[in-house]
Amino acid sequence: MMRHELIRIWAFALRNLLMASRNVFFVFELTFWPTVGVLSIGLMTRFLRLSPADTSFVLIGTVALSTVQVCQLDVAYAVLYDVWSKSMKHQFLAPIAVRHLTLGSWLVGIGRGLVVFALLAGLAWWAFDFNPLRIGGGALGVFLLGCFLTAWIVGVLVCALVMLFGTRAEASAWATVNLVLVLSGIYYPVSLLPGPVAAVASAIPLTYFLDAFRSHFGFASEFASPLARGFGLSAAYILAAHWGLRAALDRTRRSGLLLKMSE
Amino acid sequence: MLAIDAHDLAKTFRSGWPRRRETHALRGVSLTVQRGAIVGVLGPNGAGKTTLLSILTTLLVPDRGRATILGHDLAREPGAIRRRLNMASGNASFLWSLRVEEIIAFYGRLYGLGGRALAARVEELLGFAELGPHRRVPYNELSTGLKQRLALAKSLVNQPELLFLDEPTLGLDPDVAIRLRAQIAALRRQRGTTIVLTTHYMREAEELCDEIAFVKNGRLLARGSSEELKRAIKLGDVIALRVDAGGAAALAGLPGILRTTAEDGRVELTVDSAQKRLGEVLQRLHESGAVVRDLEVREPQLEDVFIELAK
Repeated sequence: MMRHELIRIWAFALRNLLMASRNVFFVFELTFWPTVGVLSIGLMTRFLRLSPADTSFVLIGTVALSTVQVCQLDVAYAVLYDVWSKSMKHQFLAPIAVRHLTLGSWLVGIGRGLVVFALLAGLAWWAFDFNPLRIGGGALGVFLLGCFLTAWIVGVLVCALVMLFGTRAEASAWATVNLVLVLSGIYYPVSLLPGPVAAVASAIPLTYFLDAFRSHFGFASEFASPLARGFGLSAAYILAAHWGLRAALDRTRRSGLLLKMSE
Repeated sequence: MLAIDAHDLAKTFRSGWPRRRETHALRGVSLTVQRGAIVGVLGPNGAGKTTLLSILTTLLVPDRGRATILGHDLAREPGAIRRRLNMASGNASFLWSLRVEEIIAFYGRLYGLGGRALAARVEELLGFAELGPHRRVPYNELSTGLKQRLALAKSLVNQPELLFLDEPTLGLDPDVAIRLRAQIAALRRQRGTTIVLTTHYMREAEELCDEIAFVKNGRLLARGSSEELKRAIKLGDVIALRVDAGGAAALAGLPGILRTTAEDGRVELTVDSAQKRLGEVLQRLHESGAVVRDLEVREPQLEDVFIELAK
């Protein structure tokens, strides 16, 4: 039984991997846009004559943005590939659950996210003298795990939106994660945000993972036990997002959208 | 033993906003299919054939009705049903840059196949669908015929006991369609697979199906073997004759003649049964002195039944 579970998860992982390896635009996703992001933000910190500490604060957000974005896109591709190729019904004709779909594509997302992170960390170190690796493997691993969990949640939500609204919701694959990152204090402390928006930020796990990571670079933590909160929220959202995706799939089976997306 | 036992299936699609439009795709269809049978679902475009197949394959949830598929309740045990059935569409589509063997393997993994078992199944299906030489060709580079054969191969990846084929030979060249039909027939012969198929090709239905269910406007209008349907619709047989002028007048008043047309010495009689009436017709013509120059007896085709039912 467990073997069948793993095989089904691997099916989606391998599919995403093969699709990614055969599309030249995915190379842009992995290298071009993240590099442009770090270079432009890094140069802006030079122009504004930010201190090394402030530069690191901003660059942490920039690196996190690309890492989360790339991983989240892979999760969204789990459904988008089938929408684009109009092959949606075939996979849901098989005895699979949404967890197979999201876990398999998330694994590939983690792989691609690690590549992006390594690339950007190297670039930030070389060009702007900021080394995110200096805090050690443990803290770094926890931060990356937090980024990837956030990406998983957002990716699953995007899948649910695409299931509910079809290709009209495609843009959410690129837009949603930016909104989440803006709210979670990507380039600034969340204490700067207006009251109601700060309340929303406090409900986003990435807010806590960024806070915890930045504390290793000398910034005072804005929250008590940020990692516990971040992982707690992540666990709750992962369950909720999967419930939402399953509900969306059930709805497409009732409305007929599952068939429409396959014709 | 039944593979499908469906009762009163109904489905209405709703679309549009703010004014909702309703399309009644199925209005209470009941259908039973014996294990090991090949049943054709025929009907004009928009009749509800694909909706019916989609419900029976768990891709669509009916608004009303109940069904048991291979002994499992459709509403309560969709997972158990999905393990044991599969489907291929004439207009199937798969991921554009995956290769033929990768597509079969991907769907095989979704059914829990892995390692040597998966490799063996992929090889077997490549052979069955004659896709071996094309195994490394990406999907978007395949011809229509190869895509259809791939769809059939994919639909057999879990060795289904119940197979749904939605227009399996749509748009294929005649020689490719003939080969595909032979492969479908072999599935039942060799593996005992129960097959439910929709088609617009009457010859295909006559050749493959034990039984035909005719659907129109979301309702099941008629059901039976090809011969039973022809008899039930009472289209009659046609006796076509070439006789000397005046021969047609001699046939007036003969019992069993449903329709008569006469033009330039050619007379076409639609009779209730050619076997029963042919002797009487020839005798009457002989008695009247008319000389029969040519004679042809035609039974109605399934196509005629289709046209009649679709009216």
